[in-house]
Amino acid sequence: MPVLRSKNFAYYLIAPAVVILIITSLYPAVFSFVLSFFNWNWGVQFDFVGARNYLDLFRSPEFWQVLYQTFLFAVVATALELLLGLGLAVVVDHLKFGAGLIRTLLLTPLMVSGIIVALMSKILLDPMLGIVNYVLNALGLPLSPFFGATSTAMGTVIMVDAWWQTAFVFIIVLAGLQSLPQEPIEAARVDGASALQSFFRVKLPMLRAVLFTVLIFRTIDTLKVFDIIFGTTGGGPQISTEVMQTLAYRKAFSFLQMSESMTIMVIFSAIVLAISLVYMRLEERLEDD
Amino acid sequence: MDHRQRAQLQRLLAYLISLAAILITLFPVVWLLTISFKTQRDAFSMPPKFIFEPIWDHYLALLDKPGFVQAFLNTVYVTALGVLIAIVIAIFASYGIHRFRFRGKKLFGVWLLMAYMLPEFLFVIPMYVLYQKIGWYDTHIGLALVYQVHSLPFAVWLIRSFFKEVPSELDDASRIDGCNHLGTLRHVFIPLAAPGIAATAILTAIWIWNELTIALSLSFSEAQTITVAVASFRGYTSIAWGPMSAASIVAILPMLIFAVFAQKYIVKGLTLGSLKG
Repeated sequence: MPVLRSKNFAYYLIAPAVVILIITSLYPAVFSFVLSFFNWNWGVQFDFVGARNYLDLFRSPEFWQVLYQTFLFAVVATALELLLGLGLAVVVDHLKFGAGLIRTLLLTPLMVSGIIVALMSKILLDPMLGIVNYVLNALGLPLSPFFGATSTAMGTVIMVDAWWQTAFVFIIVLAGLQSLPQEPIEAARVDGASALQSFFRVKLPMLRAVLFTVLIFRTIDTLKVFDIIFGTTGGGPQISTEVMQTLAYRKAFSFLQMSESMTIMVIFSAIVLAISLVYMRLEERLEDD
Repeated sequence: MDHRQRAQLQRLLAYLISLAAILITLFPVVWLLTISFKTQRDAFSMPPKFIFEPIWDHYLALLDKPGFVQAFLNTVYVTALGVLIAIVIAIFASYGIHRFRFRGKKLFGVWLLMAYMLPEFLFVIPMYVLYQKIGWYDTHIGLALVYQVHSLPFAVWLIRSFFKEVPSELDDASRIDGCNHLGTLRHVFIPLAAPGIAATAILTAIWIWNELTIALSLSFSEAQTITVAVASFRGYTSIAWGPMSAASIVAILPMLIFAVFAQKYIVKGLTLGSLKG
């Protein structure tokens, strides 16, 4: 591809995108950052308070608990979705007939909005009237309060997220598997490698880049979780499923504590961007190998 | 057990696992569908009823529910608007990145990626304040614009990877034929990447249609979207399942139908972006 040097023309081409980025991301980021040093609750009062919002947050046990829960959710959900998605992709890749149809059916959850996934899970997992507890009971298994108890709520929202997003991992890893070059796999088979050996020694290393991309997407997306927690537990019981985005929402729209909400988001955005940068660096290194 | 038998057994196992996965994937949606046709008594009955007399009442009630039909139409409009803005602007931006070398190109790429990664509430609240001032709060264009934080980087990234697939000989040929830059974009890149652009538009539409966080904070009644309308049933989760299920089904259906017809494009869009980067 010849890369041309008509500099100004390129700027015209990207100008509309830059204007949109300025309005929708640069302005809000600067606004939030500035506001995090003031005290503002929607009213006329607007006082400079220095780093007090930050210090207050760092001193609050609630903030640390919510930060911990956000990471717990993200790490466990991402790991679960990667494992299930990879496993399913390997299985479906193995099939001779019907793989296309199966792929179509398994894609369904990705078409469903997070809030609907949340409400649907409330119906299925209702402790008294839900069909899941009914089936557990019929099978002689212990029932669960699901969203209703602090001990099970977090596990339940993670499970719901896995139902929703495993398909994303599955579809991409499956495409990755299907586009692998056949020679090394064939060579391993001729050398007498078993299916398992061929998977771990040959296919998995070749899938590294694809898996890494999926890992980045799922990590960032699960850190930013909102819909399914908002729609199921709303952060409860107590604050056992509260995460950064639901906390920011509650502070801003229920308690009108704008500055506090913005401070939370500034810290959280810094964390998310730092993680993305680390991942991108690692990905570059991975591609260099 | 010889080699062939073992291979057959493995295949059988693969089908069983796939079947279980399909069951787990589809059952919740099918169950939601049955509940939307059940009376309150049937929905709450224990043991659960698999055979029942279907009723349409919950769907008919939606027609009378203030704002629900409006919310559906709003979503169609906002989705179309959001996709249009994202695709048009992304085509130019992708062409710029793909074909030219310029100062700040890397910065532009990083900025797009960062915007995509930002958590919603970082930009939603400042946009709320801005929109209250300029009168864009609870408007279609206001929503469609804020969706660009996510949709525009996504579209640029995907369309660019589809442009990379265009053979460079065609590009050269068009220039020899005397096409200028915009002519080459129009006569070579856009037609050849058309399936990819369609895939990008479809994925963007699905994302906007299903989005809740931004719509919840920046729309209220005039521009309220379907996800916000469905979210308003949240309080009913332990009281009335019927209306909530019917509303959910109405919100899902367009995307499911979409998925059946555009499945090829959806898979293409999802996978090309991640496989080629």
